[in-house]
Amino acid sequence: MSQPLKYMGQGLAYALFAVVLGYFSTSPEYTHMPADYALVKLSFNHAAQRKKPCHERTDAEMAKLARNMQIRKDCPRERSDVVVELELDGKQLYHVVLPPPGLSHDGAASIYRRLPVPAGTHRFVARLKDKLEGDFNFVREENITLGAGKVMVIDFKADVPGAPGFIFKN
Amino acid sequence: MIRLLQRVGQGLLLRVEKGFNAVFGAELNPMYQLGAILFFLFWVVLGSGFYLYAFYRTGVSEAFSSVEKITHEQWYLGGIMRSLHRYASDGMVIVVLVHMVRNFVKNRLSGFRAFSWFTGIVLLLLLFISGINGYWLVWDKLAQFVAVATTEFLDWLPVFVSPLVRNFLTTDSVNDRFFSLLSFMHLGIPLAMLIFVMVHTQRVSGAKTQPSRPLAIGWGLTLLVLAIVKPALSQGGQADLSTAASQIKLDWFFMAIYPLIYAWSPGQLWALVGGFLAVLLFLPLLTRNRRMKEGFQIATAPSMRTFSAKPGETVLEAALRQDIRLPHVCRDGACGTCKGTILHGTVDYGVYQEGTLSEQEKQAGKALFCCATPLSDLEIEYYENETLKQVPVKLMQCRVHKMERVTPEVMVLYLKLPQGSKLQFFAGQYLDILLEDGARRSFSFANAPNDYEFIQLHIRLIPGGRFTTHVFTQMKEGDELSFEGPLGTFFLNEASDKPIIFVAGATGFAPVKSMLDHAFFIGSKRRMLLYWGVRMRRDLYMADLPERWEREHDNFTFVPVLSEPGSDANWQGRTGLVHEAILQDFPDLSGFQIYSCGSLQMVQAARPAFLAQGLPENACFSDAFLLTTPKIVQPAEEVQT
Repeated sequence: MSQPLKYMGQGLAYALFAVVLGYFSTSPEYTHMPADYALVKLSFNHAAQRKKPCHERTDAEMAKLARNMQIRKDCPRERSDVVVELELDGKQLYHVVLPPPGLSHDGAASIYRRLPVPAGTHRFVARLKDKLEGDFNFVREENITLGAGKVMVIDFKADVPGAPGFIFKN
Repeated sequence: MIRLLQRVGQGLLLRVEKGFNAVFGAELNPMYQLGAILFFLFWVVLGSGFYLYAFYRTGVSEAFSSVEKITHEQWYLGGIMRSLHRYASDGMVIVVLVHMVRNFVKNRLSGFRAFSWFTGIVLLLLLFISGINGYWLVWDKLAQFVAVATTEFLDWLPVFVSPLVRNFLTTDSVNDRFFSLLSFMHLGIPLAMLIFVMVHTQRVSGAKTQPSRPLAIGWGLTLLVLAIVKPALSQGGQADLSTAASQIKLDWFFMAIYPLIYAWSPGQLWALVGGFLAVLLFLPLLTRNRRMKEGFQIATAPSMRTFSAKPGETVLEAALRQDIRLPHVCRDGACGTCKGTILHGTVDYGVYQEGTLSEQEKQAGKALFCCATPLSDLEIEYYENETLKQVPVKLMQCRVHKMERVTPEVMVLYLKLPQGSKLQFFAGQYLDILLEDGARRSFSFANAPNDYEFIQLHIRLIPGGRFTTHVFTQMKEGDELSFEGPLGTFFLNEASDKPIIFVAGATGFAPVKSMLDHAFFIGSKRRMLLYWGVRMRRDLYMADLPERWEREHDNFTFVPVLSEPGSDANWQGRTGLVHEAILQDFPDLSGFQIYSCGSLQMVQAARPAFLAQGLPENACFSDAFLLTTPKIVQPAEEVQT
């Protein structure tokens, strides 16, 4: 191959490399979410109520324990599951039962869930149960308008004085 | 299955490499310098990164604005640096993947190479972590997507007490310290890469860590042009966690798997990534050659050296590892530089470019030492002279001091070394002029070693030859040249007292002149005859010099021989082929030493004829035969004696 042809070939090889590099560094465009959708993110950490309440040990119970274990108040560590439901315009969007983590099942349950929903006005109902028996003990419902591309975060805080429960951030 | 993949891959790879050889030449073929190119790209990333870091502000509100400022307010430098930083990183991904595929296809990943393979996997992971981490620093919409997607992906692993992605739930979730942490990681991970690179190359004999200069220039310019034509820009303004982007321009080199987090699920993607990594980790085990359980011993002759080869190690790798400098250039069976002779033993010839080693050559015991792995103990031909260690090879600059056109086809160059520099060599050795594209042209020293004021070269014009044409048409006094030398094992054997016949063809006179000058300088009393063969009388471009020697030294005889005297009626001297004149004059050559310098054709014709007339094999020296480089198969211009 003659020298000018070689140089041309080298130029072509470098150009081809540059085209591949330049193109795939930004293209093709990725559609992450339909343009007319919004995103709901349900996420929180919450330690559920204990399965059994604390109780005072009797003398007989104390006697059965080693001396160093003889503590009057007995609090079983195991917590209840956290049950969460999210409803959108009367239809159940999400339902989950979160068992408490940890070897003793006494940790705070965590959840993160991303739920794309069509943009517009919707009625959201969030429910949570963190005890062994009974119905949902935390419920919040609200009409919310979500613009296209907006992110709404549904958080839960049980320790907010006066208003424990779900927080809708949009 | 794996072997089949490798065989198919080898066929494809050899074709691609052949294409690159045609365009770049074996010396500059990027496929043979992937590791060195990675080093180059890494330095570009590091250099541009340090520049960007000087202007980068670590804060939620400052991170994006500082990047925008760098990109737009000083686009001519900061903007270019940002683009170079991105494109060199992207380039690293491509080159790393090709590098891995190539080593897999060529089965260079098991046995002693497994260590480099495993450290290479670590480097691959570090490269991806560092690249993705870098995108977070910009804190634009792409950074937001990558941060959220990465944490959503990581959260699938049951190791985090609280989901990581909660750190990106709302704008309030991110604080300034987060960017300090990101910056720290973005400095620390490349540092870890640097350490692993050292470890990675540590077991590769003679690993090349710098690409040839023309290749570095080519890659650098390509990145620069791309940086100007398509600068790297931020996407969609500053990150805003209260909104989610619909369309994103991903950097597919680093983020190709990100869409799968959502198209599949993080768990499925972990299965894919984990499976891929597991395959990579097990490949050395799956591809190991069960035949090669033990290493072999390799002995060289006539140089009495021995060295060991590990299982699967090529002869060249083993030699270099044990400091035996077998000749080589491309190390991939394309240039033929490492071609040598196997005297005893068998090898697996390996994978090499068609045409570099013929079947006839294999039959004659030849092999490409860069590709051949021993299947038994070996004895190979290798010439090494202890005395060569006295004249170390150097890379030097010089200036053209004087140009003397002694015939229309011959130019005598006088090269001046920089003030205070001195080059030691043996009479008969040569140097390589280094051309800008990395190509080399070899010329013998025509001056004697004691005459060190100027290096003298005799350049014969080769029609169409790039360098020699340059010498005759464009070179001027004062021009700078780079060269490597001294090279070669062809030089005067001073230990013998046998009479010497020098056979010079055309500019083959140059090394002979050096040797004779040296012999006279040291007062040698050996009988010496010079047969200088040229076409016509005018080609005896320095005839007055040997004629003077003849007058001054009783032990010296000069016999010029013209092959085409033509109409030169005054020519009373010898005619015909130069070696035939010697054969006529000396029916018995058994008591002589012959040094032949000239074209390959002349040496090839003369050698068997001399041997047939009684010349002992160990008394027949020629640069064409004794140089352990492949110059005998290169175009005429590439070597002149």
